[in-house]
Amino acid sequence: MKLGTNAWQRNLFIATFIIPTFLFFCVFTVYPVLQAMYYSLYDWSGSSDNKTFIGLDNFKEMLHDPIIWIGMGNDYFLVAGKIIGIMILATFFAVALTRFKFRLANFFRSIFFIPNVISVVVIGVLWNFIYNPQIGFLNSFLSLFTKDKVDITWLGFTSHTIWMLLPPAIWAGIGFYMILLIAAIQGIPESYYEASSLEGAGQWHQFRHITLPLIWEQMKVSILNIMMTTLNGSFVIVMIMTNGGPDNTTQVMGSYLYQMAFTQYHFGYGAAIGVLILVLSMITTVILQRLMRQETIEIS
Amino acid sequence: MMFKRHLAALSLAALMIVAPLAGCGSKDSSTSTKTEDASSSTTTTTNTDSSSNTTTDDSTKKLTGDFEIQYFVGGYGDKWWKKVIADFKAANPDLNVKESGGPKINDQMKPRWVGGNPPDFVYIDGPNLNDRQMVEDGQLEDLTDWMKDATNIDGTKISDILAQPPQLFDGKVYDIPLVLNSWGVFWDKALFQEKGWEEPKDWQSFLSVSDKIKAAGVTPFIHTGKYPYYINGAILYPAIVSANNNDISILQDMADSKVEAFQQPAVLTALNKIVELRDKGFIDKASIQINHTDSQMLFLQHKDAFIPNGLWLPNEMAKDVPGGFSFGFIPSVTQDSGGKVVANTSTANVAIAKNAKNKEAAKAFLQFIFSEAQASQWAELSGAPSNIKGDISSSSAPSHVKDAARYLTDSNTVVVPSITFNADVDKAMQDATDALTIGKITPEEWVQRVVDVAKKVKK
Amino acid sequence: MKSGLSNPMVKIVFYAILILWGISVIYPLLWTLLDSLKNNDQFFRKMPWSLPDFPLLWSNFSYVWREFSFGDYFLNSVVVTIGSTLLGLLLSATTAYVLARYPFRGSTALFLLYIASMMIPFSLALIPLFFLMNSMHLTNSSLGLILVYASTLIAFGIFVLVGFFKSLPKELEEAAAMDGASYFGIFFRVMLPLSQPGLITVGIVNVLNIWNEYIIGTILVNDPKHYTLPVGIAMMQAQMQYRTEWGPLFAGLLITIVPVLIMYMFFQRQIASGITAGAIK
Repeated sequence: MKLGTNAWQRNLFIATFIIPTFLFFCVFTVYPVLQAMYYSLYDWSGSSDNKTFIGLDNFKEMLHDPIIWIGMGNDYFLVAGKIIGIMILATFFAVALTRFKFRLANFFRSIFFIPNVISVVVIGVLWNFIYNPQIGFLNSFLSLFTKDKVDITWLGFTSHTIWMLLPPAIWAGIGFYMILLIAAIQGIPESYYEASSLEGAGQWHQFRHITLPLIWEQMKVSILNIMMTTLNGSFVIVMIMTNGGPDNTTQVMGSYLYQMAFTQYHFGYGAAIGVLILVLSMITTVILQRLMRQETIEIS
Repeated sequence: MMFKRHLAALSLAALMIVAPLAGCGSKDSSTSTKTEDASSSTTTTTNTDSSSNTTTDDSTKKLTGDFEIQYFVGGYGDKWWKKVIADFKAANPDLNVKESGGPKINDQMKPRWVGGNPPDFVYIDGPNLNDRQMVEDGQLEDLTDWMKDATNIDGTKISDILAQPPQLFDGKVYDIPLVLNSWGVFWDKALFQEKGWEEPKDWQSFLSVSDKIKAAGVTPFIHTGKYPYYINGAILYPAIVSANNNDISILQDMADSKVEAFQQPAVLTALNKIVELRDKGFIDKASIQINHTDSQMLFLQHKDAFIPNGLWLPNEMAKDVPGGFSFGFIPSVTQDSGGKVVANTSTANVAIAKNAKNKEAAKAFLQFIFSEAQASQWAELSGAPSNIKGDISSSSAPSHVKDAARYLTDSNTVVVPSITFNADVDKAMQDATDALTIGKITPEEWVQRVVDVAKKVKK
Repeated sequence: MKSGLSNPMVKIVFYAILILWGISVIYPLLWTLLDSLKNNDQFFRKMPWSLPDFPLLWSNFSYVWREFSFGDYFLNSVVVTIGSTLLGLLLSATTAYVLARYPFRGSTALFLLYIASMMIPFSLALIPLFFLMNSMHLTNSSLGLILVYASTLIAFGIFVLVGFFKSLPKELEEAAAMDGASYFGIFFRVMLPLSQPGLITVGIVNVLNIWNEYIIGTILVNDPKHYTLPVGIAMMQAQMQYRTEWGPLFAGLLITIVPVLIMYMFFQRQIASGITAGAIK
């Protein structure tokens, strides 16, 4: 009897803690997403009463849409560039600010995190002024060292313009991962380092054989997180800075989704791009995990 | 770290997402497209202010209820709208007029159009609002019959006073042009006089003066690469018409996305003019990455001599125009010497939403704004011509507007009526022109790209 | 023995890199301040790093403050951020606790489902989301934003907090249960206080995200009375595009940066320890 009541109480408890959250989640996240997936099977302008069911035609069309491929290339470029740039710098800063006993370490740490608290809208506007060919910072600065005025159009190359979006993305992203890695490093018992110092190991040796293996889990999480946030979120800075231009050289899938769905009246197609992003995120996650699992073994 | 175990299963989980949730998510999706009234929406509700002492006790029936106006605020500013709406409110004290205006209003209101809860009245201007698409989507009220004998509040027939008639979609009228703009090329007359540069009349004189300008250390030509429709509207399309023996039907065929139209030799000839500008080094390198205001600022600062633009330019930049600056304007520079000037016009139109809740008031508002009294203020308050006959040369208009008026009424000018391209074709042409100006593609590739898109659209 | 850097050359190089990066962060802020006091003419005549002319154009600030009701935006942002973070924390902590401690049939699947949802590109859901909110009369309302933002927080919250609850020693709960505490009592009086670092992690990450979010905000709110700060700046930037007022634009940017910076300075320790707590567990 008592047991029965207890089980009932337990179930009631589980239900009250699980169900409201789940319902809430269904209504505000799952339902809109499923709805959008459903639209991806339609030819629909997004603002008309007529929707035509076309099955997978939107997806077939993607194969022949050059901009999709540009966008995908740029997305993966940003993923790779951000992972490399952010991980190298964030790891460097994290190690420098913990292991090397710099004075002012706390000060630097506070400063380096600042870009993470600034809205990406602000970051985009600021970097646009840095890159401005006429009144921008970069050209004026370079002109100090040259005879003629430098007039490079940083955001207007015939190709590879996407490279220019990497610095703001890295600049804005480092702080968070740096703090994460600092925490990981601080969690490593000091005795490990002391022991290896007694054996005469240098800083680099310590980094390779103590720090790196012991923060590898955090680095893995960081890398996956960078990948996901880039695929899903890099379009904001693209839209603010270049709008995908010139001639789609900076288009990423997210900005192309937005353009198709909201400015070129192909909502069904835009939704299909969203599904593509989702699928690619999943595939990339699996691949990255495979790669990094092997790496762990090699390192340790 | 806690997530490591779970991440392995992450992808699996993602694959599962659809299955377990089908129950909670996929109800009847079609119902949600028809959203009913959202009374809560939107901007400044200005209740009928009591200051109105113009009690109009005339024959017109009293307008009541809510009436919502959507208007984009761009280069023309919003002075005219503020004024005309205030006047309209004064004339209709029982009407609750809401205005939803702003530079992003087209994006902001889009969900409401999609949701079947649009404003009553819309001013179609600015980015991301395309009348052709709105008509195709069945969002605009068919005004064909109404236009036949609609009169304005002065009793004059509206169709009689329009400088440019409404664009027809399948022979029907859905929106009425309110503002008349001409694309063209601007320069500073004062600067040209001072330097002894002659003002361009045709392609040859444009090129020769550009040579001089370049020799003098000024970049001849800047455009708005971030929004390439400026250079398309002011250079490319007029050039196409000139190369097509001043026959404008080619542009209309392009607007209908007819593939053959893009393959005409006239298109290549026109594209090669842009290539000529590029290869002679006349185009400011900065163009490709900057927006309209940045390019316009450089122009005003005399860093560049010419800029392709629309008639709103002087008003848009009013605060930054240096003293002594005097706008020179010509609708096109791409004609051969002795050839006709081609004025590629564009209009900003007004329309009534098909799902409007107060069509009475919307129609009354149309009658109100298409009166001489209201429309003639457009030029004064917005610094650009309205679409009312005669208004364009009215005394209060700025001088460049009068210049434009001279061209538009001259028999030696080919006036291209406002044309809206299909959104995909338009985007393809813009991207391709940008690519052309930086030497990324050839004119032939331009044509190929656009033809591909047109084919897809036509399908 | 200290493990500082032995080689002075290396030390100098490292210092130089740190200082350079520090400058790259600080300088744009300083530059924003300088440029907010200039007029258009100075943008052209002078170098980007030059000091503004006297008199300093402080009027740029009062101008944007007047033109755009930044005070209101700020208040809206505070309400929305706090409201959605608290709601989201409650919703995710409850579920996370059950998933961590009281597994039931399907609980793993549920957990994975939440995690998987983090990969969904949210822009996909914007239009359907608008329909949904519109039909519930929740557009143009802070409540609507709170609900949507809270829902975006759930998955990440569960992700972090499940791990957190699992790491807490079971003994405490057992002791509390011995004392006759109910399930709810144990959660609210014992577990919740213990999981404070985890809650802070989730809270901080989300405060930052929500405070700076503008796409959802732009879609769901078009009444200036309900703008949040990022929506406010985006609108201001759009308007500036038709006006070329660079000075005021920078003034506006600064107005939006300063509150976050102040917040950051006050809560720096919590932010760092929040992220730390999440990472170590």
